[in-house]
Amino acid sequence: MTAPLLDISGLHYRYPGARSDALADLDLSVHEGEFVAVVGANGSGKSTLARLLGGLDRPAAARRAGACGHDLLTGDGRLAARRDVGVLFQNPENQLVAEHVEEDIAFGLENLGWPSADIRRRVDEMLARFDLKDLRRREPHLLSGGQKQRAALAGVLAIPRRAIVLDEPTAMLDPAGRADVLAAVAALRVEGLAVVYITQEMDEVVGADTVVGLEGGSEVYAGGVDDLFADGELVRRLNLGLPVAAEVAQELARRGRPLPALPLTLDALLAGLSERS
Amino acid sequence: MKGAGKKAGRAAVKARGGADAAVASPTATDTSAAGMGLACRGVTFSYEEGREAVPAVRDVGFELAAGGSLALLGASGAGKSTLLQLVRGLDEPEAGAVVLDGVKPGGERYAALRREIGLVFQIPELQLFAASAREDVAFGPRRLRWSDERVKEAVSAALELVGLPEEKFGDRHPYALSGGEQRRLALAGVLAMKPRLLLLDEPFVSLDPGTRRQLAGILGRLKGAGVTIILATHDVDLAWALCDDVLVLSAGEVAASGAWEFDAAARDLLVRNRLREPQLVELWRRLGRDLATAPRTAAEAAEALA
Amino acid sequence: MRPAIAQYYPGDSLMHRLDPRAKFVAVSALALALFVRDSFLGLAVYAAAAALAYAISGVPVRWFWRAFKPLLWLVGLTFLAQVVFARGTPFFSFWFVHLSWSGIELAAFLSLRLVVLVLAGSVLTLTTTPIALTDGLAWLGRPLRRIKVPTDELALMVTIALRFIPTLLVELDTIMRAQRARGADFRSGGLRERARALVPVLIPLFVLSFRRADDLALAMEARCYQPGIVRTRLHPLRAGRADVLLLVVTAAVIAAGLLV
Repeated sequence: MTAPLLDISGLHYRYPGARSDALADLDLSVHEGEFVAVVGANGSGKSTLARLLGGLDRPAAARRAGACGHDLLTGDGRLAARRDVGVLFQNPENQLVAEHVEEDIAFGLENLGWPSADIRRRVDEMLARFDLKDLRRREPHLLSGGQKQRAALAGVLAIPRRAIVLDEPTAMLDPAGRADVLAAVAALRVEGLAVVYITQEMDEVVGADTVVGLEGGSEVYAGGVDDLFADGELVRRLNLGLPVAAEVAQELARRGRPLPALPLTLDALLAGLSERS
Repeated sequence: MKGAGKKAGRAAVKARGGADAAVASPTATDTSAAGMGLACRGVTFSYEEGREAVPAVRDVGFELAAGGSLALLGASGAGKSTLLQLVRGLDEPEAGAVVLDGVKPGGERYAALRREIGLVFQIPELQLFAASAREDVAFGPRRLRWSDERVKEAVSAALELVGLPEEKFGDRHPYALSGGEQRRLALAGVLAMKPRLLLLDEPFVSLDPGTRRQLAGILGRLKGAGVTIILATHDVDLAWALCDDVLVLSAGEVAASGAWEFDAAARDLLVRNRLREPQLVELWRRLGRDLATAPRTAAEAAEALA
Repeated sequence: MRPAIAQYYPGDSLMHRLDPRAKFVAVSALALALFVRDSFLGLAVYAAAAALAYAISGVPVRWFWRAFKPLLWLVGLTFLAQVVFARGTPFFSFWFVHLSWSGIELAAFLSLRLVVLVLAGSVLTLTTTPIALTDGLAWLGRPLRRIKVPTDELALMVTIALRFIPTLLVELDTIMRAQRARGADFRSGGLRERARALVPVLIPLFVLSFRRADDLALAMEARCYQPGIVRTRLHPLRAGRADVLLLVVTAAVIAAGLLV
């Protein structure tokens, strides 16, 4: 197996002036094409993790802190990591810096000094990919929530990335906008990007290869999706919920009618119900 | 949920019961006077954007009985926030009227009724400003010129209700609270004014599931106490769990309103408006069960399936 | 919701497509000529040129009127002052008021000059986005880099500030609405009370703006921005034949105005 693109071990982070660690002894490894979901209550350190992985903040200490082959413990390593690891932050409004959508998508490439013709080609690609062609000359503040999120994602991915960290990318979107973003993320996995997906939506966790659960900056869970949702105590501790299907199954079990396995999707629940009868 | 204009009598999925039984324990004894009745008649409003006026809501009409609960659904930009602002009276409609408890606009009585409408905005940071949680919640009651004693009681009760007990949170600075706590504090600031009609704009966005459950529980209790509620949200599952009625806005116009319905046409209408049917309804449909008995909560579903 | 400084009229006319640097140089040169030349005939030439440019831009006349209206009192005042105080042979005198034909003529000239100036200026601002104008000025200011003025960084700052003005206005509006919904009153009371009512409005606006500044810095760094780097552009400023033509025509118009 190849080396992981994100390779973190024993990572600590502390805010300047703080008395305790915002992240403590964190391990994370994400390979090419792998999808790791990060869950935890509001304020558990998820967004801090996003910044560190993107080379935007200096870890206090770490045994290993590699991002796409760059060492996050050195200044040069972090600068190099910013090229390979994209980070999409929570509020798209605060990430759109340019006058129009197309110039915003170009922003990263302009910073990297790409020739104008190459920028134009790449921007056109991104506009097509994120269904923004008709909005290329639109000013950011006139976009809807879903359009803003797509524009921000296009701006992050315009720089060719090897890994991406998404911080609650669907929070402000309607169900269709949510489906759009999830489809875009699925396509990135197919292209071989390592994906770290921070979310509060339990249904979005279901497709992950691995889940990392944070509580007060500590990693209290790292493992499969099934084991996480099967552990009621852990789900409560992390302030999580269950996917609807699992919730129904749990209520059935409480009424003495357990299903053979905990279903995480409606398909699985339906299969379990028909198996039982 | 009736398609606008079409009065055709499709088999309506009538709302039964409503919110999670576990959270619907009423706290107020007198539920009759608690809720405000609301009727919107032909409400129209447009924004000026650059060169032209863009209609934000057009000819919106619906009724909501006192103590009712309405889910306001629609794609982003469909006019949900604008409609809430119009109902609260922060904008005046260009045409049409918002009738409160049967009282038409104009006059002192109407102005007083307006003050009994609470509106919680989406972004909590835009609503908090005082140096302490206690002071922030007291802002509204003071503007109502209540006595110090009464303000104190209202603040304490509101903080308690949203799960931020005064002993622990009263002195905390609003901006030092977590996102979920800020959201609940903003709600407390509105609840302290004892609204009889509560309008909520996307209250669940970016909350963790635990906090979301907690907030849904609070809304369930308010509903149980008879407060009339309008909930604008993208979360169809929570909307279905909490609200008896539904109104779908499409580009500023009413696409459907009334009791929830889930026949093929209604499902189509939801999808066309960038929404989907609630998962528990989908489960019922795929089980081939009668959609009129579709469960609102996982517990109801399990009860029926066990 | 648009601030007065962003009086851009979206369009695709020849005037819109011209390079902001060429437009800025042309309008500045014309303004200079307007102040140098002091005959009605010269003024007429420049007025015709400015009007033609405005016509080509395809912007409705009422947009000029909108930009001009706030300046109307200035024109009126100029006119009155000149009429009343100008020296010449008076045909009417009362107290300090001395009306003379030469005074009226001068007043008309100065007022018209102001109108032409605003007309030429509004062709520039109505057909150029503030951000394109910033880019153009940053380029024209490049020689200042030699004395360590960070022109590109300044231009980027101005661009971002302009980009966020509408966002800030929306936020301000939302904050005031949230407080009105809780009984705040920004419309009645004395000046002092109204000023005091604004304090709770400004606090969240500041807090949010500071956080936005953090968010923005982070988002820009995440897209490889660093102060001092040499950036390329998606749409580099590129002067074409039309821009050269604009400068040549402007030079000809200025010369014509000076010579007639």
